[in-house]
Amino acid sequence: MTSKTPQLNVNISVRYPPFELAIKQTIPVTGITGIFGHSASGKSTLLRAIAGLEKKLTGDITLGGIALINTQQRTYLKPENRQIGLVFQNSRLFDHLTVLGNLQYAAKRCQKSQLSLDEVVQLTKLKSLLNYSVNQLSGGQQQRVALARALLAEPKLLLLDEPLSALDQHSKTQLLQMLLSIQKKLNLPMLYVSHSLDELQQVCDNLIVMAHGKIVNRGNIHQVIHQLNNYSGNDSDNDIQNQQCNIIQQQTSLSLSIKTFNNGHGLTTLSLNKQQDIYLASDQSFKQQKQLRCFILASDISIALTEPNDSSIVNQLFGSIKVISHQTNRVLLTVTCGSQDFFVAISEFSQQKLSLVTKQHVYLQFKTSAVRTFIH
Amino acid sequence: MSNSDLQALFTTLEMAALTTVILLIIGTPLAWYLAKMTSRFKVIIEAIVALPLVLPPTVIGFYLLIAFSPEHLPGQLWQQTTGQQLAFSFSAIVIGSVLYSLPFVVQPLQKAFEQLGDSLIEAGALLGAGPIDRFFSIVLPLTKASFITAATLGFAHTVGEFGIILMIGGNIPGETRVLSIALFDHVEAFDYARAHLLAFSLLGVSMVVLALIYGLNLPKKHPRNKVELNNDK
Repeated sequence: MTSKTPQLNVNISVRYPPFELAIKQTIPVTGITGIFGHSASGKSTLLRAIAGLEKKLTGDITLGGIALINTQQRTYLKPENRQIGLVFQNSRLFDHLTVLGNLQYAAKRCQKSQLSLDEVVQLTKLKSLLNYSVNQLSGGQQQRVALARALLAEPKLLLLDEPLSALDQHSKTQLLQMLLSIQKKLNLPMLYVSHSLDELQQVCDNLIVMAHGKIVNRGNIHQVIHQLNNYSGNDSDNDIQNQQCNIIQQQTSLSLSIKTFNNGHGLTTLSLNKQQDIYLASDQSFKQQKQLRCFILASDISIALTEPNDSSIVNQLFGSIKVISHQTNRVLLTVTCGSQDFFVAISEFSQQKLSLVTKQHVYLQFKTSAVRTFIH
Repeated sequence: MSNSDLQALFTTLEMAALTTVILLIIGTPLAWYLAKMTSRFKVIIEAIVALPLVLPPTVIGFYLLIAFSPEHLPGQLWQQTTGQQLAFSFSAIVIGSVLYSLPFVVQPLQKAFEQLGDSLIEAGALLGAGPIDRFFSIVLPLTKASFITAATLGFAHTVGEFGIILMIGGNIPGETRVLSIALFDHVEAFDYARAHLLAFSLLGVSMVVLALIYGLNLPKKHPRNKVELNNDK
């Protein structure tokens, strides 16, 4: 693994008429970068191009200054020489080999072996499965083997193509936590493709949004999610973005520090700012964490004009309306609480009833159950 | 079994073994190429490979006999290179057998490569395995049963050849006289006892070969129980 941060420069076109992937972008590959988009937006094709598996490609890709492909100069680095790992959706394990055999396959072919097989087995908790046939494993276990195998090839960049999409919630949670700890431990940059924003919100630092074979947005994960909220359903100029908007639920994406794990009532307290906290139900998995990623759906937040003292709803935040955006049959409010923007979806009827205007002071209310984490 | 029959048996086994080896060497890349090929010419190549399945052996034998004769280019080139005539030689019956048994090797391999797909080969490439490495470490183990089928079918089909061999090899003891021709000779001479012995031997060998193929191609049994989730903690 490398301690330097490689820059991935992609300037490619891949054509499968009528689909065309056309990307011209420098992608900062630090930490975990998510790639989000609907089906046939080109996410997997982009990963395949980076890995060297895409044959109908024109253009060039460089990683950390090394040319992976340049069709004009006729240079092409074969997948086996790129030092790029890829974990596929369907694990692609070799079923003529045991779990250990699959891991050894990668370890034997790794030229600069810095990670030991034991280390990776420990990281991916595979010790008791080593002698099993891969066909005996559950989907989650198979993906862990695929992840371990990819790590043993010691890539400079690890690509993950919807690795959790076929797994149950328990396995998803387990693997996401594993990915985070591996990323931190090995300082391995990852590009993580998923159509699940919840998944990406939990692990990614940055997010790339793709539609129709193009990158339509990229940046800090929370900012990009918030920008996805803002595309109006009535704005015909933003057709591509609207399609993204239609497949996500408008939400506030947060990464907050944990103030108390349990406030004595089974609630974890998250610090929003000096004056205001957010509460959610405690989970054992929060215990080892300092920071918690969570999201609140815009439809789960309600507005009150006066402080709701007699309400059972625990989370009450004070803020002022920043933006009022009219969408199809509803209104999306951006409310600033301290320095954090919250997104609130209400009906036009409610907006008119409360006569809401920008800069107006309001109270936001939402239940503890509305504060969602991917880890259940 | 008489000495002449034993000699025919050895000639047959030698011819079939050599043919099988040659078929595997040329059939594997050809099958791979056909499995991966997307060109419209694929059907033409497939049709050429499959021709021996539908053509009477004597038709193939007849054209090969003409081609192998010293009056025609292949026969001339052979004679210039080796100093020996190609027609009615052991080499001629091996070449004829290779052409005649080609579909029996290429087709099962092509099907196996098509079924294997690219996904595991891509996975191998991303783990640092080059093309040759991938073939021996992934493709070969995963298509082992098809290689065994192809080799066995190629061998068995060659052992049973008659028409082509008679056309291009004749009936030269120790050179081109194989079991099927020896059997024909015994029947012509009304020596049914020796004919029975050879026929029964061929029948037995064929049965064993087929049983072996079906046995090797039985699906692998894996324990049905998945590993318990808490087993990996």
